[in-house]
Amino acid sequence: MRRSFVAQNPSVLVFLLGLAAFTLGVSLLAEGFGIGLISTSFIKTLGKTLCLCLVAIAMDLIWGYCGILSLGHFAFFGLGGYMIGMWLMYARTEIIVEASLAQGVIPPTPQEVIDGIGSQIFGVVGASDFPVIWMFADSLTLQLALVPLVPAILALVFGWLAFRSRVTGVYLSILTQAMTLALALYLFQNDSGLRGNNGLSGLQNLPGVTAPQSAISLWFFWASALALGLGYLLSAWVVSGKFGSVIRGIRDNEARVRFLGYPVESFKLMLFTLTAMIAAIAGALYYPQAGIINPAEIAPIASIYLAVWVAIGGRGRLYGAVLGAGFVSLVSTWFTGGQAPDINLGFYTLQWVDWWQVILGLSFVLVTLFAPKGIGGLFDLLNRGDKA
Amino acid sequence: MTCKFRADLLLFFCGVLALALASFARPGHAQEAGTLQQLLQQDAALISKASRRTIGPVIDRIVASDLPAVPMFLSAWQDKTIWQRRADGLFFVGADMGDRTYRLTDIDSGAVIATVPKDDLKQLKPNSGVRGLIATALVRFQLSDPDPSLREEALTAIERRPEAGLLAPLRASIDTEPDAELKARKMRIERLLTIGHGRDPAERVAAIKDMSGDLGVDLRAALNPLVATRLQISTDLPEGVNLARVLSPGGPDLGRLEAYDMLAEAELAPARQTPDQIKTVLSNHVEGGTVGGVALVRLSTPDARAIAYDTLAQEGKVAPLVRDEEIDAALAAHVFFETYAEPNPEVTAAALAALQGIATRVGLNQTLDLGLDAISLASIYFLAAIGLAITFGLMGVINMAHGEFIMMGAYTGYLVQQVIPNHTVSILLAIPLAFAVTFAAGVAMERLVIRHLYNRPLETLLATFGISIALQQLAKNIFGTQARPLTAPGWLDGALVLNDVVAISYIRIAIFVLALIFLGFFLFLMKRTRLGLETRTVTQNPRMAAAMGINPGRVNMLTFGLGSGIAGIAGVAIGLYAKVTSELGADYIVQSFMTVVVGGVGNIWGALLGATMIGTLQKGIEWLNPSNTLAAQTYMIIFIIIFIQFRPRGIIALKGRAAGD
Repeated sequence: MRRSFVAQNPSVLVFLLGLAAFTLGVSLLAEGFGIGLISTSFIKTLGKTLCLCLVAIAMDLIWGYCGILSLGHFAFFGLGGYMIGMWLMYARTEIIVEASLAQGVIPPTPQEVIDGIGSQIFGVVGASDFPVIWMFADSLTLQLALVPLVPAILALVFGWLAFRSRVTGVYLSILTQAMTLALALYLFQNDSGLRGNNGLSGLQNLPGVTAPQSAISLWFFWASALALGLGYLLSAWVVSGKFGSVIRGIRDNEARVRFLGYPVESFKLMLFTLTAMIAAIAGALYYPQAGIINPAEIAPIASIYLAVWVAIGGRGRLYGAVLGAGFVSLVSTWFTGGQAPDINLGFYTLQWVDWWQVILGLSFVLVTLFAPKGIGGLFDLLNRGDKA
Repeated sequence: MTCKFRADLLLFFCGVLALALASFARPGHAQEAGTLQQLLQQDAALISKASRRTIGPVIDRIVASDLPAVPMFLSAWQDKTIWQRRADGLFFVGADMGDRTYRLTDIDSGAVIATVPKDDLKQLKPNSGVRGLIATALVRFQLSDPDPSLREEALTAIERRPEAGLLAPLRASIDTEPDAELKARKMRIERLLTIGHGRDPAERVAAIKDMSGDLGVDLRAALNPLVATRLQISTDLPEGVNLARVLSPGGPDLGRLEAYDMLAEAELAPARQTPDQIKTVLSNHVEGGTVGGVALVRLSTPDARAIAYDTLAQEGKVAPLVRDEEIDAALAAHVFFETYAEPNPEVTAAALAALQGIATRVGLNQTLDLGLDAISLASIYFLAAIGLAITFGLMGVINMAHGEFIMMGAYTGYLVQQVIPNHTVSILLAIPLAFAVTFAAGVAMERLVIRHLYNRPLETLLATFGISIALQQLAKNIFGTQARPLTAPGWLDGALVLNDVVAISYIRIAIFVLALIFLGFFLFLMKRTRLGLETRTVTQNPRMAAAMGINPGRVNMLTFGLGSGIAGIAGVAIGLYAKVTSELGADYIVQSFMTVVVGGVGNIWGALLGATMIGTLQKGIEWLNPSNTLAAQTYMIIFIIIFIQFRPRGIIALKGRAAGD
């Protein structure tokens, strides 16, 4: 008997309802909505956390369901951010330059406007001409299309090369890590065309929008929540069907799936590219809320933290990834933001800013050793309790 | 007393005489002066208020007089011990006798004249520019000075300020030079001086040919001014100049507009209006919302602006626009050519040929230098990777904290240096200590974490990564974020210099030797010891090994500790070469894994080849694009990704059962 998709996966419904309730609650309490119990900066933090949850879902798909530990998904996340950042920066600078040129007696030529934007944006790296990669920066539509497209192409090429030569396991992890390192190092150069280590900045301002940040932050929060909901739905649908079964098969015994006649490489490549696109969309929503993107965001360590979140949340289940990313990144923000009170041990003052990383690292070891299912494993215990 | 008085009197008369002579003889300076004092009095005003611009001819006259007292006077002048007596303007060598009195000595005879209070005297204080000129003049006297250190100083002065006048005295001093080393140096400088200032072209060409096999920077410095070119413009190509080449405007070396702007700058053509200038001019001629009959709002295209400008020009308000045809005509009417600064074509031809030969040889030597650089980088990668070759290559344990073990080794070295100030002793002590510390850390990690995760490589990766984060932050908490120095012993300072192009620092040589020692140690350990045998057995088949009475747990523990310990020693070596920070290990971890993966897992020769390949590659790419080491790393990683396509199991792939999976 065929049952509906939601009926097969009650957890999806629970998750979506929970997400909706959370979004509604936060919105009502937000500063932009009048009550003001939650500050604008915290709305931004929550919005960014939702984006991190989305990229964690992508990570969970590729690692938890397919067994490919990618240590490079933040490269796609960052690329998505760069793609939207290019338009944000171009459009905003265009407005500024046009305003300043309009002060002159004679109206500017289009070339003068473009030259002005070029020297504004690339002045910090000692250039003034637009590199080829900024070709579409003046068009929001094209640049939005590039958000999933560029990371997808990178993932496709890299994945094709890697899977074709049957690089698996830790080798693949190291290779993905090398990929993100190469990209980060490349972007660190001043002549990479993306402003070197200055990165793209001022992304929190939407060009042509005069609404206050408190309102803009809410819009992005809603967009992030919507993207997370859709991403979750898509991922749940992907893993629930036949495609999902093949992918889990690859995780558990790749050789057997291949002998059964499935083109393992194509499945892996498809999933790798899909998750890269999800990561890119998450990044494109994240960086306008963060306000700045620079190559340090793409450094290998970021992708490893992604793995940490998913592992702590519990891989192989989508809500685990969301819980892990949300929990760990919020707790990290709390501890490293200096809000947590210091502990005075008498002979030594324990400052959380310094010691949080140590605790995170060690707790990660403990989770890996003793709770491979992560936080998600707790739900299993609850379920078993119900049935017993 | 009388004697002194008489001498004084005599000198006084002499001074009066000299003054009188000077007043008559000044215009032509034809008068032969009998003593140096007389000569000096002729230019007394210039000497007492010496300035760099005016003193040159005076010094030349002093030197040309060939008087025996000249060298003494010049060096005293340079040392600011020449004093002028206010009463008569005579110059003396003054010695401070205390009590604000000075003992004056006659310049020519060296006889003591009198001891007078300071108030009666005025000290000559030549500024540094004047002292430089004096030093150059002194050089010719010092070249044959009995004191070798003075002769050496003189040669250094010539090198710094090669002047035509020094050539003759230098040549004269070569034959009598007793010191072989100084003689060789004199001959070399003589050749270099001849290149620039030889009497006739033949002599200079011969000097260039003599030196053409040389790689010295000084030779290139002597040759380059000869072939320096200057861009000139004229209507016809002039005769009798040493022409380097004729440039065609619009060609690859001289842009069309650039050439026209040069014409305009030389006032051979009217200046071109840039778009910015046109805009400024237009905005200065706005009349009731229009410029030259064009409405302001329409001026947002270059064409509309040109029309408006033309209208203004026709009304005679602004200079007319320079049109393309006019630019072309002006360019066609002129010749752009480069001439050599050196007028003689034979000399420039010889210099060019010599420079070309030098360039080839410098290129070859640079390749050699690059090769040495590559080897030293490869040694560093090899050192960083050799521990991994054991833990990852042999045991298959992926240890992301390997980099942190390297860091721990480096910090151990730093701590030892804090306790023991002697660098040689502290480094020798740091090496076993670093091994002990990281060996212990490795064993602890193996027992506590990795043991439970064998055969779950991805989990191992994550768990060891957690340890890596914790260790890194711990190091940051303990040692702070600033870089800590790990100083090499004094005997490792400096570099082995082969010539002006090839040089390699002793630290790099030491690291290379250390890498070789480790290679030997590793081979010995694996092939000749009980532990090596047991390790290989356990790696290949742990159950069978256990059946043979080997304790796999113990062997794994020791092997892992060994790999970690070697990482610690590598940390000491890398710390000598790079700054010790908490991120030291993280900087090397990806490259280390690459080295092992590219080389081929499970084989020390593979790690060696991998390190060599990555080191060579990185240096090679850096050479292609020297300004950008970041790009070099990027391209190297991309290359490795592609390389793995063709040899997925690395350069040396294990075959058969050993390959396992």
